Amino acid sequence: MKYSLLLVALLSSSSLFGANKAAPTEPAVSNITVVCPTGSCNKPTEVVAEKACPNPKAHKEMPAAAQEEVLMEDANIRISVTGQGVAPMNTSSPAQAYALAKRAATADAYRLIAEKVKGVRIDGEDTIQNMMVKRSTVRTSVRAMVRNANVVETTFKEGLCEVEMEITLSHSQFAQ
Amino acid sequence: MRSRDGNHSFTLAICSVTLFSSLALQASEYLISYRYLIKDATLFNETFYISKAMQKCQGTPSKPIYLDNPKHQNLKDLLSAYDSEFIEYIHKLGLHVEHKDITTNFKNSSTTVLTLKTTCFKVDFNENFAIIAPLK
Repeated sequence: MKYSLLLVALLSSSSLFGANKAAPTEPAVSNITVVCPTGSCNKPTEVVAEKACPNPKAHKEMPAAAQEEVLMEDANIRISVTGQGVAPMNTSSPAQAYALAKRAATADAYRLIAEKVKGVRIDGEDTIQNMMVKRSTVRTSVRAMVRNANVVETTFKEGLCEVEMEITLSHSQFAQ
Repeated sequence: MRSRDGNHSFTLAICSVTLFSSLALQASEYLISYRYLIKDATLFNETFYISKAMQKCQGTPSKPIYLDNPKHQNLKDLLSAYDSEFIEYIHKLGLHVEHKDITTNFKNSSTTVLTLKTTCFKVDFNENFAIIAPLK
């Protein structure tokens, strides 16, 4: 009888300590952020729990990296890009090479503006065969209409033409 | 009773009509399209089409460009003489950008197409210059 009582007491104490030990194994939630996609909702629609960051320095840098220019109603945004282009191999004169390289650089600058303003569509595809990567493909594409872009500066050095281009965007251009 | 300068308004009207018709020697509409293709950062193909409009275009002229035309050239010759100015002007009007980039097994290839869709331009040939404006 004595031993059975002692056994019961031991078991109950071990289960209590076990419960205390099991609790800390759950992920430690240090910070909870409420995300409201529309920006005007009152109730939180989605709650994102962030795990404790092991490197506090990196955690401090996150808000700065997340900062990006937002087109406000009463302000303009100036976007500046530098497009690059090269001349074809079979040009008849340096002047022709310059003209063709400049045309290519201008198109590249237009593409960069379109990518910055409208965004890029990215598709990726990997083919794995017999546990080996057979083919890896990444496709990116952008389609946009760009108008009123200004060429700021053009440089041509060692066959490479660089066109610095900028565009000023206002809120009214995007008004519905 | 008829005054001594009774035909003054009629003469003035005739003179003004003659003056304005001589200033605007010829006004017509042209369809212009432009497209160029860049492949791997090199200009691959460039096309520029000009055609006289066979039907009257709708719209009002906007954002005109003025080109000197002392030799009274036709539009094709005029634009070939001022090709860089006109292409810069077309860029300002707005071009459609289409870019595709493909990376297969770490080898990259890209294609960019810039296009001015077929647009009707009103062209006024005056005595020493021409006014070219798209109809919108």
